[in-house]
Amino acid sequence: MGRYVVRRLVQMVPVFIGATLLIFLMVNVMGDPVAGLCGDRQCDPATAAQLRKEFGLDQPVWQQYLTYMGNVFTGDFGTAFNGQEVTELMSTAFPVTIRLTVVAILFEVVIGVTLGVVTGLRRGRPVDTGVLLLTLVVISVPTFVTGLLLQLLLGVEWGWIRPSVSPAAPFDELILPGLVLASVSLAYVTRLTRTSIAENRRSDYVRTAIAKGLPRHRVVTRHLLRNSLIPVVTFIGADIGFLMGGAIVTERIFNIHGVGYQLYQGILRQNTQTVVGFVTVLVLVFLLCNLVVDLLYAVLDPRIRYA
Amino acid sequence: MLLEVRDLHVEFRTRDGVAKAVNGVDYGVDEGETLAVLGESGSGKSVTAQAIMGILDMPPGRITGGEILFKGQDLLRLKEEERRKFRGAEMAMIFQDALSSLNPVLSVGDQLGEMFVVHRGMSRKDARARAVELMDRVRIPAAKERVRDYPHQFSGGMRQRIMIAMALALEPALIIADEPTTALDVTVQAQVMALLAELRRELNMGLILITHDLGVVADVADRIAVMYAGRIVESAPVHDIYKAPAHPYTRGLLDSIPRLDQKGQELYAIKGLPPNLMNIPPGCAFNPRCPMARDVCRTDAPPLYDVIPSDGTRVSACHFWTECLHG
Amino acid sequence: MPEQPLESEGVIAGTGTGGAMDLATTEAETPAKRPPPAFGGGPGGGTESTGKPRSLWSDAWRDLRRNPVFIVSGLIILFLIVISLWPSAIASGSPLDCDLAKSQQGSAPGHPFGYDGQGCDVYTRTVYGARTSVAVGVCAMLGVAILGSVLGALAGFFGGPWDSILSRITDIFFAIPVILGGLVLLSVVTSNSIWPVIGFMVLLGWPQISRIARGSVITAKQNDYVQAARALGASNSRMLLRHITPNAVAPVIVVATIALGTYIALEATLSYLGVGLKPPSVSWGIDISAASPYIRNAPHALLWPSGALAITVLAFIMLGDAVRDALDPKLR
Repeated sequence: MGRYVVRRLVQMVPVFIGATLLIFLMVNVMGDPVAGLCGDRQCDPATAAQLRKEFGLDQPVWQQYLTYMGNVFTGDFGTAFNGQEVTELMSTAFPVTIRLTVVAILFEVVIGVTLGVVTGLRRGRPVDTGVLLLTLVVISVPTFVTGLLLQLLLGVEWGWIRPSVSPAAPFDELILPGLVLASVSLAYVTRLTRTSIAENRRSDYVRTAIAKGLPRHRVVTRHLLRNSLIPVVTFIGADIGFLMGGAIVTERIFNIHGVGYQLYQGILRQNTQTVVGFVTVLVLVFLLCNLVVDLLYAVLDPRIRYA
Repeated sequence: MLLEVRDLHVEFRTRDGVAKAVNGVDYGVDEGETLAVLGESGSGKSVTAQAIMGILDMPPGRITGGEILFKGQDLLRLKEEERRKFRGAEMAMIFQDALSSLNPVLSVGDQLGEMFVVHRGMSRKDARARAVELMDRVRIPAAKERVRDYPHQFSGGMRQRIMIAMALALEPALIIADEPTTALDVTVQAQVMALLAELRRELNMGLILITHDLGVVADVADRIAVMYAGRIVESAPVHDIYKAPAHPYTRGLLDSIPRLDQKGQELYAIKGLPPNLMNIPPGCAFNPRCPMARDVCRTDAPPLYDVIPSDGTRVSACHFWTECLHG
Repeated sequence: MPEQPLESEGVIAGTGTGGAMDLATTEAETPAKRPPPAFGGGPGGGTESTGKPRSLWSDAWRDLRRNPVFIVSGLIILFLIVISLWPSAIASGSPLDCDLAKSQQGSAPGHPFGYDGQGCDVYTRTVYGARTSVAVGVCAMLGVAILGSVLGALAGFFGGPWDSILSRITDIFFAIPVILGGLVLLSVVTSNSIWPVIGFMVLLGWPQISRIARGSVITAKQNDYVQAARALGASNSRMLLRHITPNAVAPVIVVATIALGTYIALEATLSYLGVGLKPPSVSWGIDISAASPYIRNAPHALLWPSGALAITVLAFIMLGDAVRDALDPKLR
């Protein structure tokens, strides 16, 4: 088990370097970072050169990358050009997005798994067909459309919720945005659970469990669910990273000042330090989630644990 | 009779039509008796067993007629909850592929102990102790240490021993073993079969042994029932059948066993293929493949004839059983 | 099985048919698990179908023709393709013909969907939006499918260091959130054409297909008949083309079809965020984005393009789903 963890950690390193380097290069392509500094005016060449030197932008890209990563590992994500520390932006933005993600994951677990189990056990019945169709619709409607429509209906027409979230973004205001953020994944969780349950239901060991004379609820909970939920748990784990990265659309719709908002602002203002910093953290979160998922897999499935 | 199956009919409704898997099976097994059920894939032998256990997938399966009498009680009339209490406690089943039939994520101790927890209301700790006893009984070395291991950590033979231990846990009156050794290496097959026979003798259980391996049958079975297209075509004490089969299908099966004294000769094979269960030929289902088939075989389905000596121990579903017996 | 002749040898129990297969699994005697028969059957051990030859594809096609999901989604897609090629067939006006005086007005004769904030005809714009979506989706899918399956197949077939390198690169691309990548890369683009968006999708999309292609090539490579072909001295290129590709291509087609739907949704999302297509391009995403500020007064300007977008994406996903079900005999 220990060796397994170490091996996975070692495998993470090149992926982390590759992904951050890629982002670093992309941001460099994004345009002249200095141009954004002088506002709408054209910078005069002397000032621009001065600024470049100050931010180390006159060095080759790979050297900039190394310097940057070195700083990141000492906890210094640099300064946004408006003088604010990027870490300061992060400390206000990340808690909001984490709260939003938590709400979304809760929806996935509670609604997605429940629906999946119910339909998986009743494959081919009307409930199953109905839910299956519904999941297809949810998957097909892009998140921003779902968000706008729900905002229109619940926020504007019926007035059940505030159409936009206050800057503090407490949990109760994040319920609808969380549902919107979760929607597509929720549908996937439902389908994945359903398929997994339906497949395992015909498996030999479930037949054995029935032949042992176990009561139905025990067959389902102890034998069927335990096995069927392994892929679901790993999907949800990996989804945490995706949700945080994809929160940008939901945050835009509901005007939530989270990671997505800061990133969006950073991109609009060509604020490279902000963009690279946030994306680096998101990539790290994504990789850590995947690591946790792999470990979780090993914990849940003894065949992997002892492999 | 411990168990009596009477005129059992099972069909499967699929998108392509109705497959008649079992079409009027009659057989019985006494306490302490071993009945071998022989037949090719699709002959309905496993489906019959699953109907007895009450573990048929329904739908698509459907029991359309017949009785399954266990200690005189018709199981098909019981409610599911009553039926469930029979499973594991009164009758148990051993499956072919132990690796897929054991739950991969639970330790074998948990899976064995579960029998005692559910049926006997034991604590987990006591159940664990009983699980170790059981593993000792089926001669798994170092049972105490291995009780926490998972199925994939055992060898094929050991896994099948665990299946056997699970079936024997509550000392049921009837065991159904569905090709228990088919998935094993030949050397291990004999050991596992011997163990099963020995434990059956000790506990004086009835055993239904489903197989297509005639070699196994001769050693352990008391009686043989041969199935074809969802029916019994011949049923008799084991020695009678080996001496002189009373059905051309049984004869074909026996003739296709390779024998040392026939070295160099071409091995006999029954021509043709098993019937399509959605479209079973009229008359005797075996007629398209039968070397003795005549016109009557293509029109009239043979009843089960009593075979001489007519003491009711031997039946054959062939119009020309006398010819077959003597010829 | 009416199309199977009753041969003199006996009636056929095909393993390829749903019914017989169900039975085989109930009997726990699927052909793969079965040891050689202990007693003689006919030629082929008694389980081979000798009826009309049936391949995976003809079986799948037979299934699909009867599947209402496939028929409905197929018709929708056909319709979309037709109006993308000839939008003027059902919309007489121009999508850029706008009259601010009619801003946010409801439906009028000849303008069933009403007008948007700029006073453009929503119906015409929705019809013309299909062209952009289909073009982006199809081009991106083709690019991704070709690049992904070639790289994936080569890595899967040759294995070794190439495979390791490709797998790591794939991991890197997977670690980058798609929408973020889109925002970063596309925010610099000022061009109005659809190519930067397509290029971006191919850049971030190929690893998905390459992973699938690699996996199915590796599976196909281990098949007995491929091993046999290798033993008989078939050349690499012949094995890859004749034996492996036909078997590996099914999962790629399924995933690519579903991906086509998601690319259409992605284009709309990027356009909504302001980095995808930009006016005067006509795109559902642009229209939805433009309509969202006056969602209260003119919801129709948002609902029609949203509906069209959702139905389009749905059609592709359902088509992919139906094809997958048909190609996966396990689920029958």
